[in-house]
Amino acid sequence: MIKLENVTKAYKGESVALRDANLEIGKGEFVFLVGPSGSGKSTFIRLLNREEVPEQGKIYVAGKDIGSLSSWKVPYLRRNIGYIFQDFKLLPNKTVAENVAFALEVIGKPRQVVRKQVPAILELVGLSQKVNSFPSELSGGEQQRVSIARAFVNRPLILLADEPTGNLDPQTSVGIMRLLDRINRTGTTVVMATHDRGIVDTMRRRVIELDNGSIVRDQARGVYE
Amino acid sequence: MAISPVYALRETGQNLWRNFLLSMATIITIAVSLWLFGGFFLFNYAVDNATARWEGGIEFVVWMNPDATEEQNAGVLDAINNSPAIREYQFVDQAAAFEEFKEIFADTPELIEVVSPEVMPPSYRIVPVDPDADVVEEMASQFDDRPGVRTVVSANDTIRDIQSLADEVGRVFLVGSLVLLAAATLLILTNIVSAIRNRGREIEIMKVVGATNWFIRIPFMLEGIVQAVFGAIVAWGGLWIIDRRVIGRFSQPDSLELMAGFRVDSSELVFTGGLVLVIALIVSVVGSSVAVTRYLDA
Repeated sequence: MIKLENVTKAYKGESVALRDANLEIGKGEFVFLVGPSGSGKSTFIRLLNREEVPEQGKIYVAGKDIGSLSSWKVPYLRRNIGYIFQDFKLLPNKTVAENVAFALEVIGKPRQVVRKQVPAILELVGLSQKVNSFPSELSGGEQQRVSIARAFVNRPLILLADEPTGNLDPQTSVGIMRLLDRINRTGTTVVMATHDRGIVDTMRRRVIELDNGSIVRDQARGVYE
Repeated sequence: MAISPVYALRETGQNLWRNFLLSMATIITIAVSLWLFGGFFLFNYAVDNATARWEGGIEFVVWMNPDATEEQNAGVLDAINNSPAIREYQFVDQAAAFEEFKEIFADTPELIEVVSPEVMPPSYRIVPVDPDADVVEEMASQFDDRPGVRTVVSANDTIRDIQSLADEVGRVFLVGSLVLLAAATLLILTNIVSAIRNRGREIEIMKVVGATNWFIRIPFMLEGIVQAVFGAIVAWGGLWIIDRRVIGRFSQPDSLELMAGFRVDSSELVFTGGLVLVIALIVSVVGSSVAVTRYLDA
């Protein structure tokens, strides 16, 4: 599903963010990206979403070299990739249902599709009773569930999560991880950057550790350290 | 994937409402600039029509002194009657001249109060057989030195005055309108940049979930176009007022002689309106295109 070949990414005037990275992530895998701040986790995720382009090497997503993708094709790539933010990034003037529907509306999905898929995904994330609530009326965990619903409503092949539990307490984080695990079991590949040792150690999934831009560990059923 | 018209209109409406004051400022600036631009065209049409009327029947006016004697009047009249180059004439006596004066200055009764028919100069308004400008000048000059004649005004002088005035006023209108159109373009750009910044999070989400650049751009571009169309509609209203209240007033028979013949045909008014709309669309597309391509990169 995802393949990196000798990928290097550097920012102007800064150290190398990702150095000669090589790896493959299969369909339906759940992968944790761990490492200290500035180790290259966020760059890794941004490269997969084509927010960044590598200086060297190639990145394949679903068999396509996304580095050579024309800019007008990038939106179509992103429709196959869900993205979950640490700070949720919900639209405060829209309700829960509207926030989720927004992700479908802006890619031109017909209204009947929106009407069908939004309640279904809100049922999946356990927010059926909150469809008309605004983000300010929700807890942090509920807001992250909305964010996950928005990322998954279009049934992407890959779900990228950049520290999705970073703003949540441990108990709420467990609930979010259960939800991501459930989504992963539907066949969706999940790549999650995290600092949360407890979650990584509990889940025992593949762990890729980055340090100063280099992959220093790639361990199946790994732990945080 | 095609953009839904309902979505585009809803987003455009929300953008305009969020930036209501800036939108109003933009619409007003566009309206004033287009009004000046259209006014320049209407004024030129009016002048063209007025001068065309003169060309169709060039005439000159022999103004007599108010105290000219009967012999002096008779001398001028004999010269007119005996000239084979004059097709016809109309004599406007002091009473008729005073009536014209009262109608022209109806809004300033204090001026009328200090004037009496006795001080009004009678005149001979003459239509020559040959409308050639040089011939008319030559004929007019023959009356200059006649006893009792105060002055002779030929149509050519009038035409030159109008054209000179039209050139000056036209330049002012054109330069003013172009400056304002540039300001309107910058205002549209500023307005859209402001809207883009206000909706930074929405745009970020749209990009992340795979909205195409055009899907993101279109509501912002529509915002500029809507402002321009509203501005053009207001400008149309202003142009209609110019036509009816200003130019239309000149063209009335009781109006100033200099301005008689000022008129704009309905087809010319419609053409000017269409031109104003096209200019508005160009301004809006330029302003909004610069804004979205510069501030909404992929």
